[in-house]
Amino acid sequence: MSRVPPPPALPRDLPPPIDPTKTHVVREFTIDDYPLTTCRIDPTGTYVVAGAEDFQIYRWPIAGPASARTVLRGHNSWVRSFDFSPDGQWLYSGGYDDRIGVWPLFDPNPAPARMVVAHDGWVRWIRTSPDGRLLASCGNDNLLKVWDTQTWELVREFKGHQRYPYAVVFHPDGKRLASFDLMGVLKEWDLASGKTTRQWEAKFMWGFDQKFRADMGGARDLRFSPDGKHLAVAGLTEVTNAFAGTHKPLVLLVDWETGKFQKKFRIDGRGAAWGIRFHPAGFLVGSGAPSGALWFWKDDKEKPFHTTGLSGGGRAIDLTPDGRQAAVAQIDRKLVIVQFTAKVG
Amino acid sequence: MPVFLRTRDTQMLATACMLPFLIVTQAIAAAPESTFPSRIDALIEARLKDFSTHASPICTDAAFLRRVTLDLTASIPTAAKTRAFLKDTAPSQEKRSRVVTELLASPQHATRMQYLLDWLLMERRSSENVASAQWQKYLRASAVANKPWDELTREILADDGGDAKTRARARFYLDREFDLTVVTRDVSRIFLGVDLECAQCHDHPAVTAYKQQHYHGIKAFLDRSFLFTDSKSKRKSLGEKAEGDVTFTSAFDETKGKTAPRILELPELVDPKDTLKQYITKPAKNVRSVPRYSRRRQLGEAMTVAENQDFRLNIANRLWAVMMGRGLVEPLDLRHAANPPSHPELLSLLGDALHQHKYDMRWFLGQLAHTRAYQRSSVTRPDSATVANRHYAVGLLKPLGPEQYAWATMEATGFLEKVRIDARASLAAAAKKAAAKKGSKKKAPKAKTAATPPNPPTLADIEAAVRKTVAPHVKTFVTQFAAQGGQKTTFSATAPQALFLTNGALLREWLKPAGANLLARVSKLDDSQAVAEELYIRILNRLPTESEQKEVAIYMELPGKRVDVLGELAWALLLSAEFRFNH
Amino acid sequence: MRRDHGCRRADHEFSRRGFLATGAAAGVAGLASPAVSKQLRKGQKRVLQIYLQGGVSQLESWDPKPGTRYGGPFRAIPTSVPGMHICELLPHTAQRMHLLSIVRGINLKTNSHHDGRLFMEMGRRSGSFPYVGSIAAKHLTPANAPLPGYLHITTRGLTDNTNAFLDARHAQLKLAGPKVPDNLIRPDALTVQAARRSGELLKRLNRRFSGRGGQKAFTDSYNASFEMAEKLMARRDLFEGKPDPKDLQRYGSHPFGRNCLLARTLLENGATVVKVTHHGYDTHAENFNFHLEQLGEFDNTFCMLLDDLHQSGLLENTLVMVMSEFGRTPKINVRYGRDHWGTAWSIAVGGHGLVPGAIVGATNKEGTEVSEREVDGGHLFHTYLQALGLDSTANHDLGGRTVPIGDPTRSPIKELLA
Repeated sequence: MSRVPPPPALPRDLPPPIDPTKTHVVREFTIDDYPLTTCRIDPTGTYVVAGAEDFQIYRWPIAGPASARTVLRGHNSWVRSFDFSPDGQWLYSGGYDDRIGVWPLFDPNPAPARMVVAHDGWVRWIRTSPDGRLLASCGNDNLLKVWDTQTWELVREFKGHQRYPYAVVFHPDGKRLASFDLMGVLKEWDLASGKTTRQWEAKFMWGFDQKFRADMGGARDLRFSPDGKHLAVAGLTEVTNAFAGTHKPLVLLVDWETGKFQKKFRIDGRGAAWGIRFHPAGFLVGSGAPSGALWFWKDDKEKPFHTTGLSGGGRAIDLTPDGRQAAVAQIDRKLVIVQFTAKVG
Repeated sequence: MPVFLRTRDTQMLATACMLPFLIVTQAIAAAPESTFPSRIDALIEARLKDFSTHASPICTDAAFLRRVTLDLTASIPTAAKTRAFLKDTAPSQEKRSRVVTELLASPQHATRMQYLLDWLLMERRSSENVASAQWQKYLRASAVANKPWDELTREILADDGGDAKTRARARFYLDREFDLTVVTRDVSRIFLGVDLECAQCHDHPAVTAYKQQHYHGIKAFLDRSFLFTDSKSKRKSLGEKAEGDVTFTSAFDETKGKTAPRILELPELVDPKDTLKQYITKPAKNVRSVPRYSRRRQLGEAMTVAENQDFRLNIANRLWAVMMGRGLVEPLDLRHAANPPSHPELLSLLGDALHQHKYDMRWFLGQLAHTRAYQRSSVTRPDSATVANRHYAVGLLKPLGPEQYAWATMEATGFLEKVRIDARASLAAAAKKAAAKKGSKKKAPKAKTAATPPNPPTLADIEAAVRKTVAPHVKTFVTQFAAQGGQKTTFSATAPQALFLTNGALLREWLKPAGANLLARVSKLDDSQAVAEELYIRILNRLPTESEQKEVAIYMELPGKRVDVLGELAWALLLSAEFRFNH
Repeated sequence: MRRDHGCRRADHEFSRRGFLATGAAAGVAGLASPAVSKQLRKGQKRVLQIYLQGGVSQLESWDPKPGTRYGGPFRAIPTSVPGMHICELLPHTAQRMHLLSIVRGINLKTNSHHDGRLFMEMGRRSGSFPYVGSIAAKHLTPANAPLPGYLHITTRGLTDNTNAFLDARHAQLKLAGPKVPDNLIRPDALTVQAARRSGELLKRLNRRFSGRGGQKAFTDSYNASFEMAEKLMARRDLFEGKPDPKDLQRYGSHPFGRNCLLARTLLENGATVVKVTHHGYDTHAENFNFHLEQLGEFDNTFCMLLDDLHQSGLLENTLVMVMSEFGRTPKINVRYGRDHWGTAWSIAVGGHGLVPGAIVGATNKEGTEVSEREVDGGHLFHTYLQALGLDSTANHDLGGRTVPIGDPTRSPIKELLA
């Protein structure tokens, strides 16, 4: 039946088990002057990259040291979204300068191989297909676009969002896309036909400020569980004053098969959830701003079972491939590496 | 203890001072020139060399009746009252004096004072933390009791809103959200007649330093207090700390200043010994702290001590403006060295008299109504307008306040008469029912006793019922006609107001014939002379002139249904400037 | 006896016939004829004020600093004026900057909405003074103007005492967008004839009352309120007609688009000062997303209005200002917001009496302070009035008391005056 497990490593090297309640910061990379906008860890677990308000992309070896930092220059505005080719060789960046940057991640000093003008207005989000052959993007022209990552030709346009789509993501089956817009409209698209196959309205993740006559809402992160059964949308709820940012963080968990809104993970406090990940150990971890915290949920309860405070608001979170660590891009100019285990030694 | 005299002592002092004054008052009949009104007139008339050449004559009885009824009771006289007054053959001054006494004793006078005090103290602010009804109830009770202004001031400035029974008094603070800048400024403006944030003063560096000290002196009374929100009920009230001093940087020479509570140039109030950080209720989370010694509670006391001349000058000026149409200091809250009163001696006389009469506002208004200055015609002599206006040599136009405007309009159209009749009837019915019930209860033991005859409703009961019925209409007029801000004597009319008067449904409704209202009455009259008289008496409280009668007659000949034509006539008279102003 | 003075004089014209005949000749409707409008159009100076309420970000509009510490994500784009760049959120406006100028060195020394608004409108830091619109309306509105002088189109009710000590006829009249104002329509039961003749009677009565002397300002104000009401009633059509679909498409069917269309109509029909408020710039959170939305709406609509005024020739006689109560902080807060900032910000102006295509003043590299030609609300106030040919250094005459029209310690921005 099952194979005998490999012998354990030497006892003194035995890593402590995953325990979110023991989450602690193991490393900090700080940049000068500018808040970070987002971050990702490449699929090989070698690098962490972060965007900043100075338009630059910063790359660090995830294991450090901080001095091994490389700066990637090419965008003329903020980068709010990254993704990679499945082998980690290529870094893709979506910028508010309307362009997608294509970077050889493992070059000593990566220069953009291409800067693709992708949208009329900000590129708000990009996401690689599971096989890496396609890249989806969405932007301020209210369009979703799918690109061929070899030729960078446009494969298909998806029209239908009436207001800014904030994020787009491939379903793990590679045949479908999900996208979420300012007004809380969640759409499922068929990749082959370009048509909307299902649509939801998560109105509670949107608010209209009567006084100022303005809409506040949208997804700050959008993520399928690896098995494709769930979609998590990070954002906000209970908008009472859009212009003062008076609203609460919320992560919506959608059962993708039934289409039901399975859970609304709530945080009692002001702000928005800016990042969400499905951890292989069976919990969800989110980050938020303006006050910095990591929230840990299980799908049985709306309130987090654990919260870890951070020094600054988190704009994004991403996990290492082994799930033992995560990177958080913070407003206080820090890229923080946390570990979900007890401290060693 | 603070260094000032406490109230009781002050009052005793005031009573002692008043004795010779009372004797003087009693001697009025014998020596008319020494009466308070005549001393006022003497100061007015002496201020301008050729006063008599600019002075308008004493107004007609009709003009006086309308003027004084509006000023003292917030409405115009009824048609019956107007007719009776004009018919009365008693000497003019005698019947004028009589009507002033009557009006001051009427429940409507309390209504007028209620409106005035509301305007003066709350300056048309919306109700935020204290219910409007609660506040009005407090004002009404104060007005009915003719509560002295100093007493009212002390009540208002001391209350923290913590006790439900007296909470309404704290509206002055609570509905200003106890914003320290706002309450400091408004306390100075409303109770002292000085605007310590006055922009003009900032242009003079020398004055700035001086004013700054005044501002911070008042602020020091309030600085330790704070708006407290009860975590459960969410109700707001004032808490206070037992420590904290006001410091400021002089805009003049950047030196640091520090002040204890003080009223303008009066000495600082030193905190009593051993009260620093001493509490009745200690500060804690979700706890409204109450200090052993409250600086805020000293404010009303300090404000009303005899040494504080500014307090009496302010209220004298404000009440004078109510009656005369312009303050001796204008704007009413901007008395300072560079903007002195137009008649300084008169203002002192008025202030002292009010102080000696224990801030009896009813007495004061009555006295003003007896002056020649008050009773002058509002028709100016040729080429005298500018001089006469500034010297009270002519009766000034006073725009009707929104509440006066509402009541006057309802009275003129006869709508109010209907409300009064209905109120009387329903009160009588209720009394009868109550009596019957009482009677029937008694029936069981004493079967033969007849039901007790019901007491007729009192004037005050009727007035209260009427007030309740018309409250929404008064509110409509306040919405349409109230200008933002506090007591003013200026006037601005807007196009939306004119549209309300011209096309609004409310006035048109009141001008439809119904019951015994204005239109129903005039529709029944045959000749144009009778129509003209009825319209003029009811709307303008006077008889029409010959040419006005002719005008009415000509208008009545115009084509159209008679009732419509009469409605047009009434509408025009109702919207006329003569109606819009108290003149 | 005096009381009958007016009547005696009036007796000659006072007759049944008089009541029947008046109105047609004296009615205000006659003024709206195309010939008269055209004449008005030629000579009359006007003001178009666009108020971006809440405080538009100078960095996202007139003074972009891309790539600097606080520059934010938006780029600067070239404009129709060589060398002049504005934010990419204003692409249409950029093409029309040869009609406008930018004042980049404003420092109000206040970060309060209330104080900033008053300073920008009154030209004084504090106190109670008439707004620039009220003064312009007083001095520029012809006696026979077919509309009230100062109209403010706004969807939200901020309380303004715009006329201060000036007569109420110069106060702004608020319009809640292109809909018929309250009580504008004559009640059904009242015939045209009845309304006209009773209105004439009212005027007679009021003339007579004014004749007794007294405070003329009071009776004048009262009478003027009816004149203004009458003017509005006569031009009810301006509020009830459906906009041309083509216009609506050009301007946008949102409230700001419709309000600007109404502004055009009012200016074309003889209004002197028209202010349009565009709400929603107080972006303490999500400054960039909200400016995308708000300026997207502003840019296109404003340009359509500007084009129409330009094409019809009205712009020559119309002073245009696009202003706020202050700008927004360079520092981006933790909610991606920018906060209140009166220290170093900009407005755009143009049209009558002003040099077009100019940039006056500058801020430092990161936009944190004024580096060149610092001005405040007082300087702007003098500039507006002098552009309109009004002597801002003269006095208001308040019957014996005088008050300087503009703050005597401030002067106009001479280099902006044509």
